Amino acid sequence: MATSDERDWTPTPTDGVSTPTSTLQAHTEEILKARYLSTHLNAAANANQEAAKKPFEPTLNKNSHVQYLLRNLRQGFPARYISQEASQPWLIFWTLQGFQLFGFGMDGNTKKQTVDTILAMQHPNGGFGGGPGQAPHLLPTYAAVCALAIVGQPGAGGGWDQIDRDKLYDFFMSLKQPDGSFLVAHHAEVDVRGIYCLLAVATLLNIITPELVAGTPEFIASCQTYEGGFGNASFPGWALRGSSIDPSIARPPLGEAHGGYTFCATASWVLLQPYLRTSYSQEGAVQPSVNLKALLRWTVQMQGSSIELGGFKGRTNKLVDGCYSWWVGGCAGLVEGLLGGGHSAKAEDDAVDAKADQDNSLFNREALQEYVLYAAQHPAGGLADKPPKPADSYHTLYCLAGLSASQHRVMPSKERRATLESVYHTEPESQNDGLRKEVFLSALSWVEEVGTAKYVGGAESRLNATHPLFNLTVTHTENMMGHFYKQRVPVWNPQKKSS
Amino acid sequence: MSHITVDDLADAALLYCEKPEWQDVTPVPQYDGILFNLSVDVLIVVLADKDATDYFRAVVKSDEISERVLQLTEDIIRLNPAHYSAWQFRYRTLIALKSNLDAELALMDVLAIQFLKTYQVWHHRRLILTALHGASPSESLDAAAKELHFITRALDTDTKNYHTWSYRQWLLAFFDDEALWEGELPYVEKLLDVDVRNNSAWHHRYYVVWGRVRANGEVDQEEVLKGEIAYTKDQIAGAPNNPSAWNYLRGVLEHTKQPFSSVQTFVELYAAPARKTAEDVVVDLDNPGPGPDAHLPCVAALEFLADIYEAAGGEQKKAVEIWKSLANEHDNMRKKFWEFRIKDAST
Repeated sequence: MATSDERDWTPTPTDGVSTPTSTLQAHTEEILKARYLSTHLNAAANANQEAAKKPFEPTLNKNSHVQYLLRNLRQGFPARYISQEASQPWLIFWTLQGFQLFGFGMDGNTKKQTVDTILAMQHPNGGFGGGPGQAPHLLPTYAAVCALAIVGQPGAGGGWDQIDRDKLYDFFMSLKQPDGSFLVAHHAEVDVRGIYCLLAVATLLNIITPELVAGTPEFIASCQTYEGGFGNASFPGWALRGSSIDPSIARPPLGEAHGGYTFCATASWVLLQPYLRTSYSQEGAVQPSVNLKALLRWTVQMQGSSIELGGFKGRTNKLVDGCYSWWVGGCAGLVEGLLGGGHSAKAEDDAVDAKADQDNSLFNREALQEYVLYAAQHPAGGLADKPPKPADSYHTLYCLAGLSASQHRVMPSKERRATLESVYHTEPESQNDGLRKEVFLSALSWVEEVGTAKYVGGAESRLNATHPLFNLTVTHTENMMGHFYKQRVPVWNPQKKSS
Repeated sequence: MSHITVDDLADAALLYCEKPEWQDVTPVPQYDGILFNLSVDVLIVVLADKDATDYFRAVVKSDEISERVLQLTEDIIRLNPAHYSAWQFRYRTLIALKSNLDAELALMDVLAIQFLKTYQVWHHRRLILTALHGASPSESLDAAAKELHFITRALDTDTKNYHTWSYRQWLLAFFDDEALWEGELPYVEKLLDVDVRNNSAWHHRYYVVWGRVRANGEVDQEEVLKGEIAYTKDQIAGAPNNPSAWNYLRGVLEHTKQPFSSVQTFVELYAAPARKTAEDVVVDLDNPGPGPDAHLPCVAALEFLADIYEAAGGEQKKAVEIWKSLANEHDNMRKKFWEFRIKDAST
């Protein structure tokens, strides 16, 4: 770890031309540098002689963040802030998943209350709303189902079997547009966030069908911009012929490449791979394509420089923000997976004494961890965009999830896939089982690559790994999918493989 | 809660539970929960919100379509513009009552500027414009032109607002009228004159020049390409370390299937470690060089040059040299990525 005087403090070059963008950038760089230096000064003032000899590393203030999450939980989720009244499942999910990253379970009473609260938001016609009595919407549906993955279970009152999957499927289909996209709610907008939420939920609950996702890969592909990242939607009008799309006519992306949309589009693209593999083999079907190299380039370009403490930006020439630690940092892992960068044979064979230089990551993991630890931790608990912003539930989860994604490499493993496949059994009466099986195996083949974890600040900073497609722990993902696909999910224990 | 009386709310409008015209409706509370220890200021707003949303749940339940629903949803939206159910219900009601949609847009002008960052604000306008177009495509062009002016005003206060830009792009394509499109390029240039690093403006330029689908032969693609390359080179010359401009240059060349090597002479000026001295400079109008304050070499130019070498075949070594210098010296943060490029090129 560089000490403060060794660190590269070169500001972003302005070439002698000052504009509003560069002024704001320079101001932010000053703030980040000051935060870094004051952290070191405080550490030096508080260090005993023993600690003072070692180079300082920032650590995660677990206790204060857990207290922050507890405060959220105790003060109650419902409508504490009016502005979040239409996002109640999100507040619940952000807090619950935060606890999971710290390795905290919930007591039975809290679980039960949370399940009841979430179920009160299920709409009679399918899907979940932002609160009781609100219209169903794809975004809170994702948050509600993920919250149930954490606190729910099968059986009466457990939450899982009370999700009306038939109506949910009908709700999804009622949002479908001729260009393969989906509205986020009736009379609402189309954008790739909603599509990600729909695909994640449909994958977890085993309701993906060819009918549901026909045309969706082409829509996602059309949202990639010239920069390599994705915008929020595309314009279908020129290519629309009645209710079908002429593939020879362009559908230009609306909105510039953006971190949040790029995560959602990339995760959607990964979640659609089973459909692409099983449905495009016949009749010379033309597979849509995404430019993965351009996507990778854009993703890594979003990582800020040394003076920006290695955080991620959400768009070209914008400022670093802690939440992009997940949206862009987490996306980098997805892109690596798409490029075939799964578990290396070496890492799997030689798991126990793997060395740090086996790291195949394509972004700077340590630097991102530093950003979260230096810049995103609020002194009073919780995490934030950057100083001097206050902490909030949204940033707390996405800073933590980004920190987790830069500590652990969760990647597709051929070995894991083979194990799952060897015990997979086909339901005799089931339809679309080719697709269903592929969805199941692909989603659950993502497991942590052994021996490649890295913790800036040591064990004190360690968080649990999170599944890059869902932002749930691998265990919660496996439990829920095992239930809805009626499959046994064997324990993953790679160390014992060779014995 | 007991220390709050209705007197404290005297300045505020009447609550729905106090309005005679709403006495026929039984409010539907969200939870039988309690309010927490909030300050009086916050509590008044919470009470008003709780009151309005309790009545909102009631009208949703009874599926009421009436003028008073418009007032109720407006109140809710003013308290919480992210309340998508209220927007949804409002739109449905407007259409069912055949309300005056121009008046709705005028009302929304105030809200849009106030709640610029809210999705729903912009989507509601899009629904209204679509409905106006459905009623009379020709007459709706006036509304679209006005809308474009309104969007410009909104962007004046926030030049990188994502939803506003996305909406502008939708509007142009949806109405697809020459009169709307023709002002766009000058508008982008005005914005880039103020801030050449505004990536939203660069993206809009790409959308306007390359995203719009036109009949074959309507424009001379080669002329357009020449103009765009020249414009971008000038912008890079003015402020070389600007990834937005370099990304645009790459995007244009890829879109028109021009090799990156077609701008090699230009790129080399910025990949050099230092500017040529005045005596060495040969004035080349096609390839403007960096100014005296330019920070060289420019990382984006080094990357660009390596891409040219990689594509050339036989020049792999030169590309690898550049990637190494990026990994170890000029762009150390992306060391892993540049090492990946080296590995990737050799396989």
